[in-house]
Amino acid sequence: MRRLYYGLLVSLTALGLWAIGVRLTAGIKVTALKSYAPWGLWVSFYIFFIGLSAGSFLLSTLIYVFGMKRMEKVGPLALLTALFSLIGGLAFIFIDLGHPERFWHTLVYRNVSSVLEWEIYFYLFYIILLVSELWLVLRDDLARQAKYGRGWKKSLAVFFLLGYRSWPDPDKQAQQSSGAQTWVKTLGILGIPTAIAVHGGTGSIFGVLIAKPYWNSAITPIIFLVSALASGAALVTFLVSLLLPEEESRELLPNLGSLLSLFISIDLLLVAADFLVGLYGGIPSDAGPLRELVQGRYSGVFWVLQLGLGAFLPLFLTFLAFRTGTRSGPLSTANSLRLASRGVLAGSEASFGQKKRRFLGLACLSAVLGILGVRIDLIFPAFVVPQIPGLEKAYVDPRLSYSYSPNVMEWLVSLGIIAGLVLFFSLAWEVLPIGPSHKELEYGKVWSEQEGQWEEVKAV
Amino acid sequence: MTGEAKQKTATQVTRRQLTKELAGAALVLAAGVTMVQQAAGGAARAQENKVREKLGVPAKLPDQVPQDRSVLRMQRDLLRALQKSLVERRWIMVIDLRKCAGCSTCTVACKAENKLPPGVVYRPVLEEEIGVYPHLARRFLPRTCMHCENPPCTKVCPVGATYRRSDGIVSIDYDKCIGCRYCVTACPYGARTFDWGEFYTEGTPQVEKYEMEPSFEYGQPRRRVKGQSPIGNTRKCHFCLHRLNNGMLPACVTTCISRATYFGDANDRQSLVSELIGSSRVMRLKEELGTKPNVYYLI
Repeated sequence: MRRLYYGLLVSLTALGLWAIGVRLTAGIKVTALKSYAPWGLWVSFYIFFIGLSAGSFLLSTLIYVFGMKRMEKVGPLALLTALFSLIGGLAFIFIDLGHPERFWHTLVYRNVSSVLEWEIYFYLFYIILLVSELWLVLRDDLARQAKYGRGWKKSLAVFFLLGYRSWPDPDKQAQQSSGAQTWVKTLGILGIPTAIAVHGGTGSIFGVLIAKPYWNSAITPIIFLVSALASGAALVTFLVSLLLPEEESRELLPNLGSLLSLFISIDLLLVAADFLVGLYGGIPSDAGPLRELVQGRYSGVFWVLQLGLGAFLPLFLTFLAFRTGTRSGPLSTANSLRLASRGVLAGSEASFGQKKRRFLGLACLSAVLGILGVRIDLIFPAFVVPQIPGLEKAYVDPRLSYSYSPNVMEWLVSLGIIAGLVLFFSLAWEVLPIGPSHKELEYGKVWSEQEGQWEEVKAV
Repeated sequence: MTGEAKQKTATQVTRRQLTKELAGAALVLAAGVTMVQQAAGGAARAQENKVREKLGVPAKLPDQVPQDRSVLRMQRDLLRALQKSLVERRWIMVIDLRKCAGCSTCTVACKAENKLPPGVVYRPVLEEEIGVYPHLARRFLPRTCMHCENPPCTKVCPVGATYRRSDGIVSIDYDKCIGCRYCVTACPYGARTFDWGEFYTEGTPQVEKYEMEPSFEYGQPRRRVKGQSPIGNTRKCHFCLHRLNNGMLPACVTTCISRATYFGDANDRQSLVSELIGSSRVMRLKEELGTKPNVYYLI
């Protein structure tokens, strides 16, 4: 199973790398983009991943800044997700440039009036902040891994520690970790406005354009933020339900689930406001894209992906999960979750807990996919209405058209980047002391996969 | 005999008088048309000649050619503007929609002048049908870059590759542009297009030589080579800056078959374009956005 998983990821990544190679050597003409529809699938993925990153980071601040101890286990996972999502977003915007080799121009040549310019600096600051916070959070666990770990995992931990060593004396160790906590909190506090600027700012890239009344609204950056929170919460919850052992996640899942439903509901409200105002006003350049979404070219993406998978299905599934949860009481559910995970308990109670967990996991996966729909629905329909009526027929050329749909190359590149992200995320999950196995190092035990049991470890 | 002779002299006198009067009238007309002669006199002439010499423009432009007087006037306006410094010029274009015949010559001339590839067009002509048969009309709207005084496109460029020159021309630094296409989405007129790196004769036995010829945009000869600018850059109308700098009017102006397009310096009160935008027929596209376009339409 594991071999199949990695085999699949590696081959998809390889396919994607080939596609990226073709894109970089042949140029941007391999895309189906048009001069009149210059942004497409890659830009949608770019804002999707930046949103995932900002969302999961903001989720982590609940723990590190607002001190929600119950959710502590999610912290490193949320930070790791934020880091990888940000890298994904930047990869997508890099590949979308007409001259990717000139990406450094953005750092050298300034234009203070450009939102995009500011965003690039925010991304930079944000990535530094993310890496440092993640390092501080993982520092002590890495030190433990360096001490008790085996083989290349140990050497990797030594490498990632960058020379840091924890004191053998427990008192000094506590002092060290409390120092780290202060730093993590400071970085988290700094990170809140940064993450808001990162994704609210990404929304502003679109919101400030007077040429596109469909985007040109103060609600655009706000929708970006709320949907980012929804997608971040969904992705982290999905990963928690998938990766964290039951006893660590049993208290988390209900919390995360209710957060997710809250974010999705606010998002729905904002989307409804945006649509009602736009459609009521009826200005062609604003109502045109909205009509394409409601009953036109993009109605499938809108109804099925954005609203169906992105909002109603997750709400329904979390409702189901919570309904079953309240019937037997939260404590017993949590217990059953734990027991079911260990596979100790067979019978109705165990399957019941697993069902709830599965519901929530499914709800989250569906929400993540749905937010992708939100991003596509923001980009694609913006280019259906000509800036001046008649422009669509003024000069006939395949690249001067207002109908865009991504071609195979664009999909392959996207698939490759995503597969690569998942691949590296999985590797990081296995290597870094975030996963379930590392915690036992604390107690001097480690889960051995070959033996299928806990093993004593000795300091080397 | 004497009578005949008298008559002859009378005729001669009359002819002489007539010539004199005609000359006077012509002088008045010339003065009316090109007031610069009166205003600045010989000094201006001398300076104009200097610019002509420098640019290699024929020393003497004929004063009156009945077929197209305005193009010569615009030519003179242009030479006069070129004597001034950049900041003192304000290039504008005036398009008379009543005169436009919708022939698209300007589109083609522009395509040829700048050797524009597939997907790139600087000056398409939009067509609009008004009314119902038998009360029917067609209106043509040539659309260039508006060279806005408050351009929404230059604001958004993350590297400052596109900017408004002090003479009002919105230009692109091809070597700086990273090809993010933010400006393309920011233009309310759809005046920016992207060079995707395609060739018209691609997929035929050979890419024809004429597609590989250099364009002279911004006065820099550039061949379109894979991976090099302007491929992968945004491209747009620049009022044929390379022609202006050589004392020539933009290609769309000189090729217009119905003299619907005018070009000149709006800061020069005596220029033809300044006169034209004083008309009550004048309008600009999407003025409500506050972009302050420098392309005017006469409707």
